[in-house]
Amino acid sequence: MNSSDPRLTAYAFGELHGEEKARFEAELAGSEALRHELAQIRETIALLGADLMSRPASGLDSDRRRRIASAAKRPARIGPNWAFRGAAAVVAIAAGSVLVVNTFGTAVTNKFENKATHIDSLGEPGVVPPSLASAAPAPTATYESPAQFLPDPALRGARGDGKADGDRRFNREAYDKFDDNPFIHVATDPRSTFSIDVDTASYALVRRHLNDGVLPPKGAVRIEELLNYFKYAYPEPEPGRPFAVQTEVGSAPWASEHRLLRIGIKGKHVAPADVPGTNLVFLIDVSGSMNDENKLPLLKRAFSLLVQQLGAEDRVSIVVYAGASGLVLPPTRGNNRSAILAALERLQSGGSTNGGEGIRLAYQTASEQLVKGGINRVILATDGDFNVGVTSQSELVDLVEQKAKSGVFLSVLGFGGGNYNDSMLEKLADKGNGNYAYIDTLAEARKVLVEQATGTLMTIAKDVKIQIELNPESVEAFRLIGYENRVLAHQDFNDDKKDAGDIGADHTVTALYELVPAGRGLAVPGVDPLKYQAPGRPNPAAKSGELATIKLRYKLPDGDRSELFEVVVRDGGARSGSADFRFAAAVAQFGMLLRDSPYKGSASYEQIVALASDVAHDELRREFIGLAKRARGLAPR
Amino acid sequence: MAADSEWVLAALERFELPLLRFAATIAGRAQAADVVQDTFLKLCAENRSKVEGHLAAWLFTVCKHRAIELRRSERRLSSMEDVDVQPNPDSGPALELERKQSISRIDAAIEALAEREREALLLKLDAGLSYKQIAEVMNLSVSNVGFILHTAIAKLRAELGRTS
Repeated sequence: MNSSDPRLTAYAFGELHGEEKARFEAELAGSEALRHELAQIRETIALLGADLMSRPASGLDSDRRRRIASAAKRPARIGPNWAFRGAAAVVAIAAGSVLVVNTFGTAVTNKFENKATHIDSLGEPGVVPPSLASAAPAPTATYESPAQFLPDPALRGARGDGKADGDRRFNREAYDKFDDNPFIHVATDPRSTFSIDVDTASYALVRRHLNDGVLPPKGAVRIEELLNYFKYAYPEPEPGRPFAVQTEVGSAPWASEHRLLRIGIKGKHVAPADVPGTNLVFLIDVSGSMNDENKLPLLKRAFSLLVQQLGAEDRVSIVVYAGASGLVLPPTRGNNRSAILAALERLQSGGSTNGGEGIRLAYQTASEQLVKGGINRVILATDGDFNVGVTSQSELVDLVEQKAKSGVFLSVLGFGGGNYNDSMLEKLADKGNGNYAYIDTLAEARKVLVEQATGTLMTIAKDVKIQIELNPESVEAFRLIGYENRVLAHQDFNDDKKDAGDIGADHTVTALYELVPAGRGLAVPGVDPLKYQAPGRPNPAAKSGELATIKLRYKLPDGDRSELFEVVVRDGGARSGSADFRFAAAVAQFGMLLRDSPYKGSASYEQIVALASDVAHDELRREFIGLAKRARGLAPR
Repeated sequence: MAADSEWVLAALERFELPLLRFAATIAGRAQAADVVQDTFLKLCAENRSKVEGHLAAWLFTVCKHRAIELRRSERRLSSMEDVDVQPNPDSGPALELERKQSISRIDAAIEALAEREREALLLKLDAGLSYKQIAEVMNLSVSNVGFILHTAIAKLRAELGRTS
C-alpha cells in the first residue's frame, strides 16, 4: 500500500485490466487509506474534466474547414500542403455545418406503438441495412465499430457483458410508417384539433442520419419536431400571460395557389434570477448497452454542463439503474459541484436494464425533496432499451403520468443508436408532462441543457391544446402539416381530463396549415369533389372576411382547470411573408421531401436552400442549409 | 473518394477541439488553428489503410510534430504573439466571472506542470486517449505514461487542495 502507487491513477482512469485489476481491487478492499486516496484522485479528475468541459468550444474557422474539406475530396496527393499557414486572424465563425459530421450508429425509430402492425423492419437481427452496409468500412458509420477511432479496448470499457454481440443482434433500423395529414374539405369538417409538441428529437435523429450519409427513414421525420427545433422571433406575451400567439398568412412556396397559415406560440421569458429553486433527480441508465462513446461518456459530459449552472438553492440527486437500481448521490446542493461531478465521473456501465425500478426510485427521491412552487424534475438519460423487469410499458407510462400530477415532471434525453427506443421515450415524456430531446453531440447537449436550460426545466403552461375553425367562405380545404401523432378528437379540446403537450419558458412552437382558398375552383389534392352535396349554409359571421378562428386551452403548471383564449386570423394577401415565415416554410418543405409526402408539390432542395439562405441568421439555421444540401446529394434523382 | 472525404470529416468532428487545445499547449493559441489544419491536410494526403486502426494516435503524433516545428520557426522569427482570439460564447456575466475565477485557478495549476505532464494530461482527459495511445504519441512506454499521469494528478491535487 503506497499512496504514490501509479496504479491508483490508472485504476481511476479504467486502465487496469484482467488479473492486475483484480489484484488491485483486492488490495483496495483491504485498505481504507487506499480507498480514500482513490476517492481523492477521482475528485481531482472530475474537477479537471469539468474545467476542460467549460472551456470555449469554438472550432476551426470556416476557411480552414473549407480547405480541409476540399483536400479531403481529392485523391491522396504526394505530400501535405503547408502553403496555407499564416492566414489572417482567426475569426470565430459558425461551423458551416456542411462539414460537421456526426459519427454515430444506426437508430431504431419506433414512434407509434398503436400502429405496431406497420413496423417496417429494414433489417433482420444480424443484418445491417443495405444503405449502411455499403458505408460500413467508413468510420462515419460510427464509434461503434471498435477498431476505428478507439483502437484500444481499454478506452471503451469492459466489453465482457455480452455487449458486442448485443450490438449486432439489435442493430437494426425499425420505424413506423405514418401518413401525412390529408387535406380536409371545410364543408366536411371545418375544425382541426391538436396538442402542441415541444420535442425536438426528430431533427437530431434526421441530422445524425444525413451526417452518416443516409436519408433518414420516413417514420423518423416528424415535421413539427423539425419546425420546433429552431428559434423564431415571436413577440413576448403580455405580462400575466404564460405565452403569446402570433399568426401570419402567406403563399405556400411549394404550391403557389395555396396559402400557408403559420401559428406561432412563444412561451414567456424567465430571467435566470427568477427561476425558482430546483430539485433535480438525474436518472441514469448504466446498463451494458450504454457503454458506447456516444452514450454514457457523452451523457456524463452533458450533465456536467448542466451542473455548471446550478447554485446553492438547487438540489441534485443521482439515481442509476441497470440490473439493480440505486441512489448514487443523495440530494446534494447545486454549488457542491465537486461532489456531483465526482459521482458522475464514477458511473460505469454494466448489466441489463430494469428501467421501472429506477423510475420508481427517482420519483420517490424527487417527492421527498419536493420544492413547493419550484422546479421538480426527473431527468431520464437512456437509450430506452428497457429489457429486464416485469414492468410492462403501459405500467411505466401510467406511473409517470400519475407522478406528473404530483408536480414532478419528466425530461427525457435520448442517447446513442442501435437499440434506440424512440417510441418508449417519446411516450414517457409525453405522459410525464415533459419534453424529449435526442442528444447526438456535445453541441446538442449545450443547446438543450445550457442555452435552453430554463425551457427544458421550467414548464410555464401544461396541457396546451389548439383548435382551429376555418371559414368556408375563405377556405375550401386545409391540411395540418406535421403533428400527426398529436391530433386530438374535437371533443377532447374542452375536456380538461385529456392530457396534452406542455410548454417551457422561452419555448417557441410553430404549426403550419396549408390552405386551398375557396371560390377559385381549385382542385383539392387527393380528394374528389362531392357528388351529392354542395357546401352547407354558412352563418352570417362567414361574411366577416375572416380566414379562421384559433382557440387555445392551457393550464398553469400547478392548475387543473384550463383557460381559454381566442385569436382571429385574416388573410392580408401577403406573398412571401416574414423571415421567420419563409424559414418555417423551408423547414416544412425539407420534412415533406424527406418523407416523400404526396403533398410536396413543387418542393425542391434548391428551393429550400434559396428560401432559407437569406434568413439564416444563426448557427442552427446555417447548419440546416448544410443538411438540405447534404440531403440533395443523397436524394434519388 | 466520397467515403474517404466523410472519413476525414468525421475525424475532424471527433478530434478537432482536443487537437486545437493540444496544439495550443505546445505552439500557443495563435498557431493552434494552423497546426490542426495542417494535421488534417496531411491526413487527406495519407493512405487511409495505413492510418486506420490507430487514427487517434496518428493525429496527435502529427499534430505534435507540426506544433513543435511551428514553435521552432516562430521562435526564430521571435514574433510569437499569444493572442486570445476565441471569445467564450457561453452566457451570463456572473456565471462567466465565477467560471473564469475557478478556471484560472485550475489552469494556473495545469500551467505549472512539467510540459510532458501537461501533454499527457490533455491527451488523457481532453482527447480521451488510452495509456497505450498516449505512449505512442509521446514515444514512451505505457508504464512511463502511467507514472507521469499519476505524478501530474498528485501535483494538481496538492495545488488545488492548497488554494481552495
